[in-house]
Amino acid sequence: MSLVLPIPIIQFLQAATIMGAAPGISGVIARVEARLQGRAGPRVLQPYYDLAKLFRKEALAPQGASWVFLAAPLAAMTCYLTVPLLIPVLTTFGLPLGYMGDILGGGFILSLASFVVAMAALETGSPYAQMGASRAKTFGAITEPVVLFVVFVVALITGTDLPYALAATVRSSAGQIVRPAHLLAAAALFMVILYETGRIPVETHTGTNEFGMIEEARPFEHSGPYFALLKWGSAMKQLILYTILLNVFVAPWGLAATASAVAVALAIVALLAKATGLGIVVAVIDNSFAKLRLFKITEFAAAAFLLAVLGVFTLYLGGG
Amino acid sequence: MLVVIVALLVVPAAAALICLRAPAAAAQAVTAASGVACFGLVLALVPAASRRDLNYLSYLRVDAISVVFLLATGFLYACVAVYCVGYLARARSDPGFSAHSRRFYAGLNLFAWAMLAAPMMSSLALLWVAVEVTTVISALLIAIEDTDGAAEAAWKYVLIASAGLGLALLATVFAYYAGAQVLGQSYNLDFGPLLQVSGQLPHTPVRLAFGLAVLGFGTKMGLVPVHTWLPDAHSEAPTPVSALLSGSLLAVSFYAILRYYQVATAALGPRFPRDVLLVFGVASLLLAALYLLEQRDVKRMLAYSSIEHMGILAIGVSFGAPIALAGVLLHVLAHAAAKGNAFMGAGVIVTKFATKRISQVSGGLDLLPWSGPLFLLSVLALGAMPPFGIFRSEFEIVAGGLASGGNIASAILIVLVTLAFLGLAATTNRMLLMPRAAQVPEPVPARVASGGADGHSPPPALQRGEPSAWMVVPVAAGALALLVLGVHPPAELTGLLARAVHQLSGAA
Amino acid sequence: MAAVAAPSVFSGGANVVAVGVLLAEFGMFRQALLRDQVRLYAAQSALISVLAVIVAAARHLPELYVLAGLSAALKVVIVPILLRRLLRGTGRDSGEHGWTDIAGSGALSLASTVLLAIAVAAFGFFSVGALAIRSPVLPVTALAISVSVALVAFVLMIIRRDVASQAIGFFSLENAISLTALVVAAGLPFILEVAFLFDLLVVVVVFGLLIRVHHGRAESLSTADLTSLRG
Repeated sequence: MSLVLPIPIIQFLQAATIMGAAPGISGVIARVEARLQGRAGPRVLQPYYDLAKLFRKEALAPQGASWVFLAAPLAAMTCYLTVPLLIPVLTTFGLPLGYMGDILGGGFILSLASFVVAMAALETGSPYAQMGASRAKTFGAITEPVVLFVVFVVALITGTDLPYALAATVRSSAGQIVRPAHLLAAAALFMVILYETGRIPVETHTGTNEFGMIEEARPFEHSGPYFALLKWGSAMKQLILYTILLNVFVAPWGLAATASAVAVALAIVALLAKATGLGIVVAVIDNSFAKLRLFKITEFAAAAFLLAVLGVFTLYLGGG
Repeated sequence: MLVVIVALLVVPAAAALICLRAPAAAAQAVTAASGVACFGLVLALVPAASRRDLNYLSYLRVDAISVVFLLATGFLYACVAVYCVGYLARARSDPGFSAHSRRFYAGLNLFAWAMLAAPMMSSLALLWVAVEVTTVISALLIAIEDTDGAAEAAWKYVLIASAGLGLALLATVFAYYAGAQVLGQSYNLDFGPLLQVSGQLPHTPVRLAFGLAVLGFGTKMGLVPVHTWLPDAHSEAPTPVSALLSGSLLAVSFYAILRYYQVATAALGPRFPRDVLLVFGVASLLLAALYLLEQRDVKRMLAYSSIEHMGILAIGVSFGAPIALAGVLLHVLAHAAAKGNAFMGAGVIVTKFATKRISQVSGGLDLLPWSGPLFLLSVLALGAMPPFGIFRSEFEIVAGGLASGGNIASAILIVLVTLAFLGLAATTNRMLLMPRAAQVPEPVPARVASGGADGHSPPPALQRGEPSAWMVVPVAAGALALLVLGVHPPAELTGLLARAVHQLSGAA
Repeated sequence: MAAVAAPSVFSGGANVVAVGVLLAEFGMFRQALLRDQVRLYAAQSALISVLAVIVAAARHLPELYVLAGLSAALKVVIVPILLRRLLRGTGRDSGEHGWTDIAGSGALSLASTVLLAIAVAAFGFFSVGALAIRSPVLPVTALAISVSVALVAFVLMIIRRDVASQAIGFFSLENAISLTALVVAAGLPFILEVAFLFDLLVVVVVFGLLIRVHHGRAESLSTADLTSLRG
């Protein structure tokens, strides 16, 4: 006898899984990285404890900051809770709310979240926060076209830009996995993810290197629960991006094909396992390469752009 | 005839090997003997090739067109080999002379070997390989003189020419593709079979192959806009090498283009190939004529003259009339003789006056009793003065142009050739006819400074006399050849040219 | 918009290897050490040999196995060793390990160069798409990629202002053309392919010698001073 979950529950579980698991994935990455460096490292659940501690602390706002400063973390969190409804997190079939937006819509919402956080950082008048915000938006202007081209690849391959459709296409045959357009788009998206989540070679996730901070600098002035929300939000963004990469491009297996509770539970486990695997890859990359100097990040973005553009080109002649 | 052809392949290679080990005097003698022998062997081929195509050993193919180009190379090889005796003599007392001259002669023989092998290859692939080999050997020969200019020129040459040959290799690949559609996948790029089935070849690959071949082999031929290595390489190389480069190597590259032209015309019809060649030809002629008006270095001037003549060749082929094609082939021979002469004469001038700068050379006719007048005759011959061979060939080209309706192109050709002659004549006038005392000294940049001239002192006093008799005899022979070609080409040669024209016009 | 059909596994795999060749070509814009540039060339040649083996296996052309092996031996092993020998001592700190620094020798910044090269590669792709050349052994995308690699090799030779990158650019141009030959001329007689390979060997030696001559006079691998011959 298998329990069938009602659809709204599954939708809720999508957002809840992302929200609940995100700090855990960050913790896993930190621990693996420490282990690779020969240290014992923090406990895997440490981010949860950090968040709990931060929620108990006092919140301060700089003088002259308006309501945007306080609203931004909430707005960002809302966006990060909306996007999991649009992408294939747990199921192979599209859920009703999933038709609210396609992959482009998901991208817009993520950008909106990033935008409001940058606005809040600009409001503070703190040099580090402003510098981080301006850098993030400048490089964002270069990485956004890459995301667009990846979306084009998806659109050309499937004829729609619904992420569910691409996931189904990738699952359909081995030829779909080996095709160059798919691999190139996945590689380009991975490079963008490294940028968006603030990993080597774009910036160091551990420690504060003021001259190199991009993503890390934006929440500099927030404190207390607002800071907790921002940290949680950026961890969620990381997991969302991993989910898009894994469940749409690289490994769209293990998703629930029916609405039974067992299948959904397995899907949750599969997602966490895949995200952990990707996190280990990111940790290895963190330990293998050096951080790029700031002006060389354009080269990194140009490389990602190259991969995405080549993905579109190879599709053009029909063999990609 | 197989023996002759194999000997043509073996003799220069053997000479090169001997020169690597022999003392300088022996190397000189061996090279000179090899040059004269090869020219004799090529002359022996002329009667046979005028009657039929010669195919041997499945990789050798000599027809009338090949022999025309073999004649150009063979003649210049002989002249240059004798010239080198005098040219290298001036450095005899330098330390390391014997090693230097061994390398030089070995390189020269290898260079001639590759240039003789190319027109005899039956497969387009081996033709490409032969042209590539000529590129690398000539690049080493250019760099053999130890000057900054030579090093720079050699690098530019080898890079640009090899890149162009890369395009030519792409052309070869597409020619294979076209041939394989009709002749099967094991087609080995043999020219004869390709020409026979050219009516059935698919058009797009042939068009692609021809375009890439003109661009690629045109880089080695000196067609504008891929000529940029030519003035540097031909002016910085040692004079005998410059003569061979201008007279023979450009011709061998043109031979490669002619082969692709034959296939393209037979497969696509005459319009497309002729239009392509006309565009490149006019561009080359125009640029060369303009550059010739302001030259400061005598060898660079002759290099631009080579570009001009290659442009004339391309325009001649684009006219398409049989008389124009006859003019083109005669032009190949006459240009080889005239350009070789001009470079050899320039070499004498450079040796005598110790500078390449035109402004520093004057009174040549007084100081060089033989080379002076011969150089003057060579330059006038290059400017298409009767009764020399180039006049006859350019006349035939223009006649062909008018006969085939290319009136505008013929008019442009005549105007530009006149312009080029203006440039050549002005500088030659200054070098040869202006008396020595009237020369105005000019500040000389350090790189090209001649020994002794520090810019504002009066020119050093020079004695009247030839540097070496060895450097006069080949030029005289070349002048004689030009005269023969212009006044009354021998009957066998005319027969050979007739057959070659017949093949080029597509009736083979 | 209609979906683009999936290629077969063979087509997809072959195209991926060809794209790898193109990416290696782009990588050559960036290298700062001569040693890395040569390694990238070796990697590119290895990819082409891999593609030849794939084609040989899938299309039953046994000659291609031998050719792939010979080409790998020559271009992946011998040419890098030759270059190492010939260019020993041209490093800034000339010595046994003096692989030299050719960093930053581009006429444009790296990002601009990549954009330019993308535009050039696009031209290659779309112009090949417009021609009706179908290969019996590989999909037409592979032909488009090989032409793009050739064009990007030209951009490499133009943009990078040091003799080593220019030389390796030319060798990678030859790689591109052998890739094109693999696509449209897989049946070319073996003896001719061997002739091309040995010709490449000769060319490598000559290029190496001329780089030494250049380095001997200019004390560096930069072409910034090669401007005296004008007009």
